Amino acid sequence: MAEGARRGAPPAPRVLVIGVGNALRGDDAAGVEVARRLRARLQEAREGEARGGEVSEFEEARKDRAGAAAPEIEVRELEGETLALLDVWEGADAVVLVDAVRSGAAPGMIHRVDASRKPLPARLRGSSSTHAVGVGEAIELARSLGRLPRRVVLYGLEGAGFDAGAGLSRAVAAAVAPLAEAVLGEARALGSESSAAATAAWP
Amino acid sequence: MSELDRTRTIRTDYLARVEGEGAMYVKLDGREVADVKLRIYEPPRFFEALLRGRAFTEAPDITARICGICPVAYQMSAVRAMEDACGVRIDEGPIRDLRRLIYCGEWIESHSLHVYMLHAPDFLGYPGAVEMARDHREIVEQGLQMKKAGNAVMALVGGREIHPINVRVGGFYRAPTKAQLGTLRDPLQRALQIALETVRWATALPFPEIQRELELLALSDPDPGAYPIDRGRIVSDGGIDIAPAEFDEHVVEEQVEHSNALRARIRERDVYLTGPLARYALCSHALRPLAAAAAREAGLGAVCRNPFRSILVRAVELVQACDEALALIESYEPPDAPAVEVRPRRAVGHGATEAPRGLLYHRYEIDEQGTILDARIVPPTSQNQLAIEQDLRAVVEANLDLPDDRLALRCEQAIRNHDPCISCATHFLTLTVDRG
Repeated sequence: MAEGARRGAPPAPRVLVIGVGNALRGDDAAGVEVARRLRARLQEAREGEARGGEVSEFEEARKDRAGAAAPEIEVRELEGETLALLDVWEGADAVVLVDAVRSGAAPGMIHRVDASRKPLPARLRGSSSTHAVGVGEAIELARSLGRLPRRVVLYGLEGAGFDAGAGLSRAVAAAVAPLAEAVLGEARALGSESSAAATAAWP
Repeated sequence: MSELDRTRTIRTDYLARVEGEGAMYVKLDGREVADVKLRIYEPPRFFEALLRGRAFTEAPDITARICGICPVAYQMSAVRAMEDACGVRIDEGPIRDLRRLIYCGEWIESHSLHVYMLHAPDFLGYPGAVEMARDHREIVEQGLQMKKAGNAVMALVGGREIHPINVRVGGFYRAPTKAQLGTLRDPLQRALQIALETVRWATALPFPEIQRELELLALSDPDPGAYPIDRGRIVSDGGIDIAPAEFDEHVVEEQVEHSNALRARIRERDVYLTGPLARYALCSHALRPLAAAAAREAGLGAVCRNPFRSILVRAVELVQACDEALALIESYEPPDAPAVEVRPRRAVGHGATEAPRGLLYHRYEIDEQGTILDARIVPPTSQNQLAIEQDLRAVVEANLDLPDDRLALRCEQAIRNHDPCISCATHFLTLTVDRG
């Protein structure tokens, strides 16, 4: 980032992936599991890059850049109280949230909602099972306070069971890896978009 | 008039703005309240089962996940119980101070959330914090700023905001430096100012006049100048004065048909209440001067028995927690070692601390290797369940002429007065009121 600043380019956009959930409540662990999977995936890519092996996503991202430094993708886990999101995503250009949902759809189904400009649909509003304030409410509160990052995309993974002490259901466990890939693709796309926006806005 | 005409049932299947999900059911027969039920669905003892067979050192980390709002309370009751079992006492010095400090952080975080995001909309007439924020942005921002100071304390001392990973049996994995704690001074000073303003603001709220004659039960710290947080004897205004080890002899839990949670009552008598109203009534003498003055200004008196005014007591406790956190930071000198050694032995240990919503009791039986043989956890919400049901009955009886939607809202408020952490006692709690 410092190097970019010396060259007079805009700073690297910050893309945050946040997995929300409780690791010990059945499918409520989905968001946390996706975050862990994604972190391992990014670590592999970094190591691959260090070994000079196949072209990593970071190199791809650098090729993509149009002036701004490569976007940074940061992965966080958030267990428990969701209003902390307002502090966690402070300063981020774009956020991908991953959470378990219970909307009545088939377990393992992946919902994608772009919450950047309009409120979440009601069926996903009370999505999180164990939070006093759901992820949807945290997003809407941030929107009313002007504290929503420029882009927010929510991935909801439909859960089957949320019992304390239980593990992931088979359907949700099977969806973790493909969802992690989808989230990575989304994060990269948001990063490129943010880079382009930052470059366009750079004087 | 037929039986059906005379019976009405008010039900709310989703209870908003409480931790977890709950169901409330009130059945009215004419002007008689025929039935009041707070239903709790979760298999209540799953975490206890999960703990059996695990190492004694794992209890703080596992139990921290029982509640998303009060992980520190679970950790602190767990470490106290394990240290009690192993014959270790940490009653003074920097490790205990750090424990009180992180616990203050959780009180600040949890009370800010409840006062501003969950409880205030009831008084100001909004369905929730999102709608309230559109008209009262300043109020919501203040609450969030104070909450952030609590989060900062938890993140610095606990290693992470919501699921602190730095807490262990015997102390901490790493102790912060004095300079690191110094970074909390400014946010806490600002939070203290907000807390004082919160007391003034809450004093002016409209409160329904309801007095509940319940036995009040809380911890009492042996240091007369310490408000109960992390240790002490269990006392009540009905004459209980016992060590945590005697809790089982005086409090019984019963399974009730409509709820998977266990409902607690005092063996010799019956219903009791734990939480801010109880702490304040039994221990207001131990408030720091600033908090005591705020309570006086708010006109709280020696005892407050109106659950709707619990928001005021929480505001006073916010002053207390911010002020104490600042004092702990000023006097802090890092410990020589961040933890004391705790060697397991075959024993039973008890731990009781004051979660933001009330007394949280843990009991563990471990073997000589430190393997957990048995675990018992009594969260504040299952202790308060009977009191909340009685509050509901009183509120319905006093508001029979309200239309169903407004009566249901009043009932929800009566539940939120106690800040029930339903996921401590349950997972999916759903709330219902019913008028046929």
